Amino acid sequence: MNAYLGHWPFRRLRHNDADGLLGLMDRAGIDKACVASASAIFYKNSHAGNEELADQVAGHEDRLIPFAVLNPAYVDWAHDLDVCVDQFGARGLRLYPHYHNYTLSDSCCSELIAAATERDLVVSLPIRQIDQRQRHWLLEIPDVPLSDLEALVERHPDAKFVFVNGLGFPGSRLGQPDSGLPANYALGISRMRATMTDEVGTLVKNIGADRVVLGTGMPFKYPEAALLKVEVLDASEETKQAILGGNAERLLTSANDC
Amino acid sequence: MVIDAHAHLTWRSPQSDWEERDRSLIDAADRLGIDQLACSNLCPRPAVPENFTQGNEWVLDSMREYPDRILGYCFVNPGWIREAAEEVRKRVDQGFIGVKLYNEYFCNEPVLFPLAELCIELGVPILTHAGHSHYYVERQPRMSGATHIAELANRYPELMIICGHLGGGGDWEWQIKALRSAPTAYADTSGSVVDEGLIEMAVEVMGVERLLFACDMSMTAGVGKIRGAQISDEQREMIFGGNMQRILAQRGEAQ
Repeated sequence: MNAYLGHWPFRRLRHNDADGLLGLMDRAGIDKACVASASAIFYKNSHAGNEELADQVAGHEDRLIPFAVLNPAYVDWAHDLDVCVDQFGARGLRLYPHYHNYTLSDSCCSELIAAATERDLVVSLPIRQIDQRQRHWLLEIPDVPLSDLEALVERHPDAKFVFVNGLGFPGSRLGQPDSGLPANYALGISRMRATMTDEVGTLVKNIGADRVVLGTGMPFKYPEAALLKVEVLDASEETKQAILGGNAERLLTSANDC
Repeated sequence: MVIDAHAHLTWRSPQSDWEERDRSLIDAADRLGIDQLACSNLCPRPAVPENFTQGNEWVLDSMREYPDRILGYCFVNPGWIREAAEEVRKRVDQGFIGVKLYNEYFCNEPVLFPLAELCIELGVPILTHAGHSHYYVERQPRMSGATHIAELANRYPELMIICGHLGGGGDWEWQIKALRSAPTAYADTSGSVVDEGLIEMAVEVMGVERLLFACDMSMTAGVGKIRGAQISDEQREMIFGGNMQRILAQRGEAQ
């Protein structure tokens, strides 16, 4: 639920075109990936990144599932959303409020999420894109606070959210049982621990195995690191299979397909 | 043999659940196929002799409890020149495998030189906390970057100096490039950062024989990045333990 194609301005990525990513997936034993444009995070007109992504995904639709990076504070996003869904086959969005200079409570963001919900898209949101300690000297982008996400899921109870590149969820309402929050979100494991403090195992217990999903962050990150968390997780094979793919398949199955 | 070259035991404050936490480290090692963990026990600041000797005593205790699993680093504050030297001699004699430094001084400051010379004499490595970020790290004004480490390494080519956590010290490309010019320095691969390409660049720039597998408590990240790296099985074996075994053998030769 957390893969990318394209470029990152501050570090050379490898395996960042379709052939490269598919090779990386083959090596790691990953069948399918939800991919978004890394370049679109920095393009003012992020839709140009979606167009690049569509070119890359073409011919690989059986394995690469496009997610659109849209900036609701940038003009013409509604048109871009239509193109991404109707022409490019996007099954989800990826939002970057801090990179794109809006807040999750802005009306434009609410409008975009409502439009995505209307189309039964997954709305994914990376808490961060890179480790803060290795940021470029030109740029400081803070993590998205988990408290903002708590409010977000309450504002949009019918949306389907996936939060990736985050950790510390058991310390927030998002990772606690009986939190009163709608069960309209899943959590990606890429930064979580699966041993010692074992955040992954804690979340499985607290919010259910059906709401924890594999996210690798490839090709920014070695996908094997995320897969290893599932491998060593103290959980049933059924739970592991759900995290590895079953939950993602369910989220990506459009109600319109049923 | 898989050796985690950078791990920590829990400070045994009365309110801490240190036994459970240390046991969970062993459990994680079991699940990840890690045979041995080279551990220090960092004391609370200020790192005065009373505190760092206490932490080392607890490391010794754990070495005795888990004799096949835990190797001990002796943590000292090198500013206490005489006390640090006495402590290192005593602990190496007790079977500790090296010295751990944190961020009390930059590695190239002269206050470290007596300790470096002692470690050469004893045939043990120094593992130092390290990092380089492109902003001022306010809480760690004397954290060594790889440039500081390279300077110490080139002053003492016989010293086995290990730059801590390439995956937990900010700009890893900087750290790796800085160590290119210090051919006797090692680096450990630990840290929570699992950026694709990190290990491959380190192998290409530094050479595989200078890289040591480690987790620094980020257990799956530590193992996962070595598993995922596009290197040969022989290189993976060297990183996972072969290189550290070579370092450990030096202590036996010195004694």
